[in-house]
Amino acid sequence: MGIKVDPKKCVSCMACELACGYHRDDGFALLSSCIMVTRGREKKDYSAVVLKEEENLVIARPEGLEIRKLGSTGEASSGREKEDASAKPLLLREPCDLCGDREEGPLCLQFCPVNAISMN
Amino acid sequence: MEYLSSNKIAIIDLGASKTIQKELDEDLVKEKIGGAGITTALYEEYRDEDPIVLGTGLLTGTLAPASALGMVTAKSPVTGKICHAPFTLYGGVELKYCGFDYVVIKGSSPKPVYLWIHDGIADVNDGKEIWGKDVWISTDMIREVMGDPLIQILAIGKAGESESDFAQVCINYWASGDRWGFGKLFGQKKLKLVAMRGMSLLEIADPEGFVRKCKEFLSTIKSGPYAGKGGIGELSAAMGEDIRQWLEPIIHRHLSCFNTPFPTNTFVFLDEDPKLLKETEKKEPGFLITDVHGLLGYKKLGLSAAEACDLLRDCAKYGIDAVAVAELSQKAGKKKPDEIKKSLSGLKGSLESVGKGKFSPWAPSFTLSSDEWERRQAVAYLFGIHPIYALMSPEFSEEKLIELANLGTGLGFTSETLDKVIIDILK
Ligand code: SF4
Ligand code: SF4
Repeated sequence: MGIKVDPKKCVSCMACELACGYHRDDGFALLSSCIMVTRGREKKDYSAVVLKEEENLVIARPEGLEIRKLGSTGEASSGREKEDASAKPLLLREPCDLCGDREEGPLCLQFCPVNAISMN
Repeated sequence: MEYLSSNKIAIIDLGASKTIQKELDEDLVKEKIGGAGITTALYEEYRDEDPIVLGTGLLTGTLAPASALGMVTAKSPVTGKICHAPFTLYGGVELKYCGFDYVVIKGSSPKPVYLWIHDGIADVNDGKEIWGKDVWISTDMIREVMGDPLIQILAIGKAGESESDFAQVCINYWASGDRWGFGKLFGQKKLKLVAMRGMSLLEIADPEGFVRKCKEFLSTIKSGPYAGKGGIGELSAAMGEDIRQWLEPIIHRHLSCFNTPFPTNTFVFLDEDPKLLKETEKKEPGFLITDVHGLLGYKKLGLSAAEACDLLRDCAKYGIDAVAVAELSQKAGKKKPDEIKKSLSGLKGSLESVGKGKFSPWAPSFTLSSDEWERRQAVAYLFGIHPIYALMSPEFSEEKLIELANLGTGLGFTSETLDKVIIDILK
């Protein structure tokens, strides 16, 4: 079971990122979210939603999904493309726990305004 | 101020190149709520030093739907009144998280400078290297020097530097909602830009209660009339001017401002295939349309969508309000893109489309009366809700916003508090 993002629906609003940050810190912050929208290529209008799972980094790009195995150091194995530098901090954070302690389940999913997030 | 706040105000003296910090007094928040309520109070406090006040609303940067708004409050060189201009995208949330709820910029600098506001620090830096550069190059230079592509930037271009009445403060590379000539004010103060970045944590008085309510309100809004729709074309259709077909061929995608359920922005590709899904090889393939009025202005001149958007891009680089350019081109009978581009420098004339009140006419009136529009804008600018989205979602009512404000801060706001502040800021 895991979180799945449909990048074609995503409007890069960051609601998932803030929801996950809240889940971690019980306040509003973006420091600990394990889901994030890459925003480093603004002029090109190119972004992805990146999720850190226990063993993988899941990158939902408009052209398709990429799953990278995380090494023992927490570094992602080299992918076919260089990832947006803005996603780097994600590697140091706790992986997605599917909001296991929340009765209503994943908070990011509940806050996505365009239903781009689902469970698979 | 303990909750939903960094509890700090920066007072920057451009003349002395110094910053002091003050606490945000909880009594001020109880009395004025936030956003335009407090930026107006700060403007009055520093009135003698011709201040520019930057601020966010009480709920900006939270899980409250559409909590994207940041604002510039100052005396408009165009209308001579104290006015508020919105900036959205990720600018409002970045200001909220950079360690200051409000920033007062007073006096003028003898030489070009820029402000670097980050993690509770506000520095006045030498702007020699960026003065004279257009908005796009300035944004790129700052992000490169600081090594952070996520820095959010309020910048002027050559229009502001040359103190044009139509100069706009842009947000990163794009048009903001500044229709008050605040770009001229930046230019007069030799303030090239304000760069913002921050990693704060905002505490919440009743975290679970606040988030539960946000979720509840979001689900009501999600089933509203705009569900599943998006983009600047839909906005224009709701205004009674349907440009969807005209724009369709160059649309790359629609983008939301921070946590805003309806994407009010549309990215068009001008030098790249709009259907391209993967990352383009081109460095600058297109433009993000953030202001429907500028686009409609160029359409009225009989331009193609690509020509219109290309002109919007030039206006943003030059830091000039496209609405003014379109209107003055219409009056002067200029209808060719090249002619219009050449007229940007030294553009003169008087406008009919100037906002009459306190809030930027960037947010369309849709079908509302001017009183209804103004009250809804006041509410949006107090709580920090996206001013266009606030008009599109009346179900996100004043009562609901007050309820969220109380769960978030525990300060016991009432509809009487709100009425009083609205009367105050509309004076
Ligand atoms: S399911 Fe929970 S932990 Fe996982 S990304 Fe979403 S909010 Fe974060
Ligand atoms: S909340 Fe949904 S639309 Fe917004 S950034 Fe996350 S996935 Fe994209």
